[in-house]
Amino acid sequence: MNSLERVAATLRFAKADRTPVIPQVFAHAAVRAGVPIVDYLHDGALLAHCQIEARREYGYDAVFAFMDTALEAEAMGCRLEFPEGQYPDVTACALSPDTPIGELAPPDPRRDGRLPELLRATGLLRSELDGEAPVVAVVLGPMSLAGQLMGTETALYLAVDEPERFEELLDLTTEVARRHGQALLSAGAQVAVVFEPAASPVVVPAAFFRELLAPRIAALFAAYKAAGALATWLHVAGDVTPILPYYERTGADIVNLDYEVDPDEAGRILPHACLDGNVRSLAFVLDVADEVAAEGRRLVARLAGRGGFILSSGCEIPPEARPENIAALVSAVRGRS
Amino acid sequence: MRQLIRTLIEGDSDAALTAARRLRAAGVPDERIVSEGLESAMEQVDAKCTVEAFNLLEVMLVGRAVTVVASEHYPSGVPREHGRATVVIGSPEGDVHDLGKNIVTMVLRGKGYRVCDLGRNCPVDALVDAVEREHAAALLVSGLLTTVIPRVRRLRPALAERGLTHVKLLAGGAALRQATPEQLEVDQVAQTAFDGARWLDAVVARERA
Repeated sequence: MNSLERVAATLRFAKADRTPVIPQVFAHAAVRAGVPIVDYLHDGALLAHCQIEARREYGYDAVFAFMDTALEAEAMGCRLEFPEGQYPDVTACALSPDTPIGELAPPDPRRDGRLPELLRATGLLRSELDGEAPVVAVVLGPMSLAGQLMGTETALYLAVDEPERFEELLDLTTEVARRHGQALLSAGAQVAVVFEPAASPVVVPAAFFRELLAPRIAALFAAYKAAGALATWLHVAGDVTPILPYYERTGADIVNLDYEVDPDEAGRILPHACLDGNVRSLAFVLDVADEVAAEGRRLVARLAGRGGFILSSGCEIPPEARPENIAALVSAVRGRS
Repeated sequence: MRQLIRTLIEGDSDAALTAARRLRAAGVPDERIVSEGLESAMEQVDAKCTVEAFNLLEVMLVGRAVTVVASEHYPSGVPREHGRATVVIGSPEGDVHDLGKNIVTMVLRGKGYRVCDLGRNCPVDALVDAVEREHAAALLVSGLLTTVIPRVRRLRPALAERGLTHVKLLAGGAALRQATPEQLEVDQVAQTAFDGARWLDAVVARERA
């Protein structure tokens, strides 16, 4: 089986030759290649090259078409700063608390900011890996994009103080995610991730997710499926146990679990979803390789039997991660069916 | 006082301010409004917010209401003689995220601490300077990014160079809370704002005993 066949079988809960392993390697691919992160985040061809080389070296089962969580916000008018060796920060928001939401329009993925470069990267990844490994595109979720456009704190207060205006903002950011995701799928992505860290129960109550975010994420996933996505993937950071019962209604095929979530409990709540996770991200920086490998083997032993399981990190692998720790995670699935 | 506490817990800033003004007009001293109103409200929210059931939005709303009331009574901040203890807080250099730090600041102010908030992207020297200047009992750092870990590890030796070995070091935030105190070379790693505040309460109480 190649990586694409392995992931496709796992999504169907069918037997695969081994458990797929997809560590969330984003800008670490640049660091590994000795490429400045700022260049990786501006050059689609360079991003594709680094992603392909990282997969070749580590031997995992997918590549990621993803730049950073400020990508969409920048294309909508936020100003960014790119600190050396790090992802960009938003230094000036596109929306002030008083700006009418209607003044902001969804960006054109083929024209605005760095979005065209990400489309270019996606096309290059697909043409290089077509039929061999899935190209996974990452789109920022409606709540997280709202936070980037306005500042998370301001957006959260807006949700309480002016709920109608906040919903107008969420409708805008959902439309941005729909257009951006569909463009990435058209460019060659096969799997679409909605990355929604700000929807975490650590940030907002579970009812907030159920009422305001789950329906919008469901609409996004339906649009991605209509655009030909092989799978949809929901990634919310932190302990998501309180909102797992609402995941089914989003239609997510793959559910990311951060390190704090009990994967057995998640499996009971979501018997038909493919689970993905959940080695602690910081372990790739601070722990030794043997510990990461042992944790990976423990997860595979616990979850491979259910069928729908992809071994991964609970969240992004930090750019400065130890390469031997990523290799150790990949080694955990070798020799097991 | 019950009405003040209830409106604070509901996160209703306007109603809390009205209740506090009513108490003040009736002759209740500022210190009692803070200790019996604000601190009681924060303690009740603390009891409700466990590591398993904690979300920033609810705490932000209570924190905002507490801050609005506290600012009216103490526009320049809680005076040192009324504060439970002084602490310095900041996001380390390289991290411009400050939501978590702001929540901790609100919680601690609500509990009667005098908090010197240095903001985000703070160099080690600026944090240590503030500890020395403010005679702080503790230095708190919050980090969303793993890349700040080397700077967090520099805090202990930087404090020691100024003879501030008695100052407690507390770390928290999405990235730092995945680490152990030993890995970060701090005294404690907090899982939530209230978790950190409880630890701080215990430290301050021990030192006063």
